[in-house]
Amino acid sequence: MGVPTVRSSGGALAAAWVLGGLSVACGGGESGTAGDGLRVALLTSGPVSDAGWYAGAYEGLLLIEESLGARISHQQTRSPAEFDEAFFSYGSSGYDLVFAHGFEYQDAALRAGEEFPDMTIVVSSGGRISDNVRSLIFRLEEGSYLAGMMAGGLTRSKVVGMVGGVAIPPAQGTFRAFEAGARVIDPEIEVLEAFIGSWDDVAAAREAATAQLSRGADVLVHNTDAASFGVFQAVREAHGDQDPVWAIGMNRDQNDVAPDVIAGSAAIDIPRAFMEVATRFVAGTLPPGAFDLSLDENVVDFIVNPAALDRIPAELLSRIGEARAAIRQGTLEVPRIRFLEEESGSP
Amino acid sequence: MDAAALQAFLEASVRLAAPLALAALGETISERAGVINIGLEGSIIGGALGGALGALFTGSPGAGVLAGAAAGTAIAAIFALFAVTLNADQIIVGTAVTLGGLGIAGVVYQSVFGATGTALTLPTLPALPLPGLSALPVIGPALFSQAWTTYLACLLAPALWYFLFRTRWGLDLRAVGEEPGAADAAGIRVRRIRFLAVLGAGLLAGIAGAHLALAHAGTFAEGMSAGRGFIAIAVVVLGRWNPLLVLLASLFFGAASALQFELQAVFANVPYQLLLAFPYLLTLAALAGWIGRSRAPAALAHPWPPRSGE
Repeated sequence: MGVPTVRSSGGALAAAWVLGGLSVACGGGESGTAGDGLRVALLTSGPVSDAGWYAGAYEGLLLIEESLGARISHQQTRSPAEFDEAFFSYGSSGYDLVFAHGFEYQDAALRAGEEFPDMTIVVSSGGRISDNVRSLIFRLEEGSYLAGMMAGGLTRSKVVGMVGGVAIPPAQGTFRAFEAGARVIDPEIEVLEAFIGSWDDVAAAREAATAQLSRGADVLVHNTDAASFGVFQAVREAHGDQDPVWAIGMNRDQNDVAPDVIAGSAAIDIPRAFMEVATRFVAGTLPPGAFDLSLDENVVDFIVNPAALDRIPAELLSRIGEARAAIRQGTLEVPRIRFLEEESGSP
Repeated sequence: MDAAALQAFLEASVRLAAPLALAALGETISERAGVINIGLEGSIIGGALGGALGALFTGSPGAGVLAGAAAGTAIAAIFALFAVTLNADQIIVGTAVTLGGLGIAGVVYQSVFGATGTALTLPTLPALPLPGLSALPVIGPALFSQAWTTYLACLLAPALWYFLFRTRWGLDLRAVGEEPGAADAAGIRVRRIRFLAVLGAGLLAGIAGAHLALAHAGTFAEGMSAGRGFIAIAVVVLGRWNPLLVLLASLFFGAASALQFELQAVFANVPYQLLLAFPYLLTLAALAGWIGRSRAPAALAHPWPPRSGE
């Protein structure tokens, strides 16, 4: 193979075409309102059309625009190489607050924070903090624990499955809590776990789900992004009226994404969390370091699918309700993986 | 592994292999003509979205496959316009087409179904059990009860082999990929053949994408091609630019993916990354010449006519 070289006019034209495609793809763009007001940006490393983790963040950004009159922008980064580039684009054009929606941004966020001291970066599930790089930690384990109880109560085969994207600590944390919740209902329950190595690969998620269903699992939870559609689809196909097979949503209230098979969602009210951060940012009361949001703040919860209510035993619902109250009162500690590195990354 | 698990594993292998095989067979034709089409991924996602929209709006998955094939071909035509007609660098144009294809697919999807997405339920391609054969134990359901696009891949492999190695057109196409100068001197229209070969690759990649959405996932999500265009290029290398071996190589990649899902379901804490990496290690070995003799078409990625200084 010859070594590719950059010099042709055709290449430049093609590059212009792709840039055109990308800037359209980034959607949102800059929707200007107030002249010198608050400027807020969102970075996602997957499409916001995932009806889950990223969709919630995008809704949060729109809510900030609507409620605070902020000028907003969203970029979808396609590779880790683009993280720095994206932060730079916001830093150099004077954005005040940037939501970097995922653990994967934490290192680039620290670098950008050092370069642009006037910009505040909030990394969702971030493990590293500095003066202007904050971590927004969702205690999704609490919702996931209740989802595990739901799964433990619904399963008849006593096998439940979990399909994950990539085995990063925030994802593993929700699975450990799910497992614990299921075993509270019945310690004998077998829990299967698979990671597909991608957040968007619908076909792979479907295969992983199918493999778990064929090993007897009859309730599946996921922690992926767009790939969740593959899990829901696999469950839909295996679902029979006599032999109900259930799916459980994660990250966002996904009950309406596949209302026929989803029993409930371990959900983060991401728009509410983003609003909370933005409001405190404007008021100057955003706490330094990490900002934890949990059941207590009504940001994390387990939401039973209203369309499935009549098929779920009332006794199970009341047990979940009791556990929910106990978590709030602090009498029930949900297992969690701590991934925040204290005091790291300060210049 | 008991018979039921073995059967599930074989079925998953074939399901995961089919889109790879379709895309890789197309890429084989394109590379045999001297064009490496890195834009394959763009054609696959275009095919997936085209397939999803086509099936949704007509209600017929067959029409969806046609729409997907058309979308894949259209995206390949953009690649061919720049890389063949305008003679730009193939790698750069291919990268641009992949990124542009993913971006455009996202824009179209979000404009039709809303920015935050939904789990579409698409009319799916039914499995067509072949009478008799599909009743065979264990291998029957895996090999002989599949969507017609899977059979298409299996039939295409020998057909393309015959085309490449036993017909005059195939000889011309290979000449263009090996010695475009000599082919040109012999009166073969190098650019036209390359253009058509790229369109053919786009057509098959579009069908691969439609298969992914309509026969495999039953839904569409942005980014669902998930790198399969690049995997298909590796499959072509492992299959040594021979359609029959390319089909086998696709099955091998499919089996490796299927195996890791089965193993993760049985054993906890299997390092799934290792299993996923295995086919690529084998591809590297094939490239290094450790597995039989393997040589890329001599003019692969070389523009025609040659630019000054090359």
